[in-house]
Amino acid sequence: MSASEAPRGRPRPGALDAVFAIAVNTFREGIRDRILYLLLAFALLLIGASRFLSLLTVGDESKIIKDLGLSAISVFGLLTAVFVGVSLVFKEIERRTVYTLLATPVSRWQFVAGKYAGLLAMLATNVVLMSSVLAAILLFRGESPLPLVTAEFLILVELALVTAFAILFSSFTNPILSAVGTAAVYVAGHLSWSFDLLKKRLPPGAGRTLCDVLHAVLPNLDRLDLKTAAVHSLPLPPGEPLWGALYGVAYTVAVLLLSAWLFSRRDFP
Amino acid sequence: MRRLAPIALLAVAVTLAAVSRDRLAALETTPRGGNEDLLYLPNGRYLRAASLGHASLAADLVYLWAIQYYSDYDRTDRYRFVEHVFGSVIPELDPHYVDPYWLGAMILTVEAGDLEAGLRVLDKGFENNPTAWVLPYLAGFECYRARQYERAAAYFDRSSRAPNAPALPLRMKAGTVAKKGDLRESIRLWEEVLRDPRADAASLAIAERQVRDLMVRADLADLGAAVEAFRSRERHLPRSIEDLVRAGLLRRVPQDPNGQPFVYDAETGRVTSRAGGVLGAR
Repeated sequence: MSASEAPRGRPRPGALDAVFAIAVNTFREGIRDRILYLLLAFALLLIGASRFLSLLTVGDESKIIKDLGLSAISVFGLLTAVFVGVSLVFKEIERRTVYTLLATPVSRWQFVAGKYAGLLAMLATNVVLMSSVLAAILLFRGESPLPLVTAEFLILVELALVTAFAILFSSFTNPILSAVGTAAVYVAGHLSWSFDLLKKRLPPGAGRTLCDVLHAVLPNLDRLDLKTAAVHSLPLPPGEPLWGALYGVAYTVAVLLLSAWLFSRRDFP
Repeated sequence: MRRLAPIALLAVAVTLAAVSRDRLAALETTPRGGNEDLLYLPNGRYLRAASLGHASLAADLVYLWAIQYYSDYDRTDRYRFVEHVFGSVIPELDPHYVDPYWLGAMILTVEAGDLEAGLRVLDKGFENNPTAWVLPYLAGFECYRARQYERAAAYFDRSSRAPNAPALPLRMKAGTVAKKGDLRESIRLWEEVLRDPRADAASLAIAERQVRDLMVRADLADLGAAVEAFRSRERHLPRSIEDLVRAGLLRRVPQDPNGQPFVYDAETGRVTSRAGGVLGAR
């Protein structure tokens, strides 16, 4: 009997039921492990920094609190995505629980999608809680946190994309290489503009083509960065957040499909 | 004994670290107070690239560091890189961060006495933030302090035209124009303040007093000039203000804001007003 076939006499679960079940378990596992400690550290850092910075700055203290808050949400989320994401699939293989799981009527793409959805739910909880702490601090200071919501949402989209890469790498290599690969994608994603710069300095030929390909293929994470605009309440071009979110979601789906394909071709000893 | 060993090792490690730190401090040969730290401050564009999407936070950190750095008055040559830090590095990281522009400009104009550099920083700030009326306002204020009234009036004008600007820059412009001697234009500007929907009760009260006071001063100046012109032409002083009207030097006999005539002393040719001293002597 193949892994994707259901045993006779038992109702075959819907494709999304299996994904949901794996996602719930992944979410629970993650919550028990690390997320609360990260949130606590974040909250303390933010509250401590806001008090401390009020002594150091001249002028608008809220700007620094907002910047620090948004960057902390992004960085803590990234750390969660990298360190949890890269070991998610690997841990299942190492513990050999993946054999049990794939022996049930769960296909490999459902496994990857479930793992990803669980981690994304954990990250979303993480972002919502950290944003709430930031919002509480701003409200306490008499400021509205609403202008930050779009930027916080796009931080989540960025984290979703980075997490997809973490899952992609972890579907064919070990956690250390996956972490390095995911971090490299994050760095390259924020420096993708440099391929244009590099292209101008290269003679026509393969080098320029490579720059074009890398610029087109690597994610442009700066497109998902609205932190500065949110902090200064700057008007955004119409549709920018929406197109940014669509870009991030579409890219994430593509990376996940690639992950599922790679994982489906993997041989387990 | 085994239990004590880690504690003893910890004590030895802490002691060694403390001693080494003190020895290193004693070995420090570079005299404190130079600009060595700033020599290694990268260009804002490179910092932006290195910040990986956190340029706004990087701007905050450079700004906080700069505040601490320039709060140390013992540093020698402390003004050499002020314009670079506040007018280049921080704006390249976050061009919409308004505080560094005015703080940098204050250090340059007030402490370093470099008005032009301060104005360059404020100009750049306003170019990047056309709604930040406070930047040209401060530029105008610094020009006013430097007695460059023409320039100050131009800056106050830019400030008053910025969106969301209060009536204050227009008030300052009106006052500056009076300071450079154009009393009639100043009256026109104060009357503009009176019609300005942005003006609060305090601004309206000030504008009313200024209009009264300036009208007296402008009329007195016109009367004095007319008396002087009459004396040059007729070789004697006029007997009354009406003589000035008859001689074609005045269109009509002016009255002060209380509706009272100006007082003319035919012996000395001096014109005064009973409504004078509204705002005190200048």
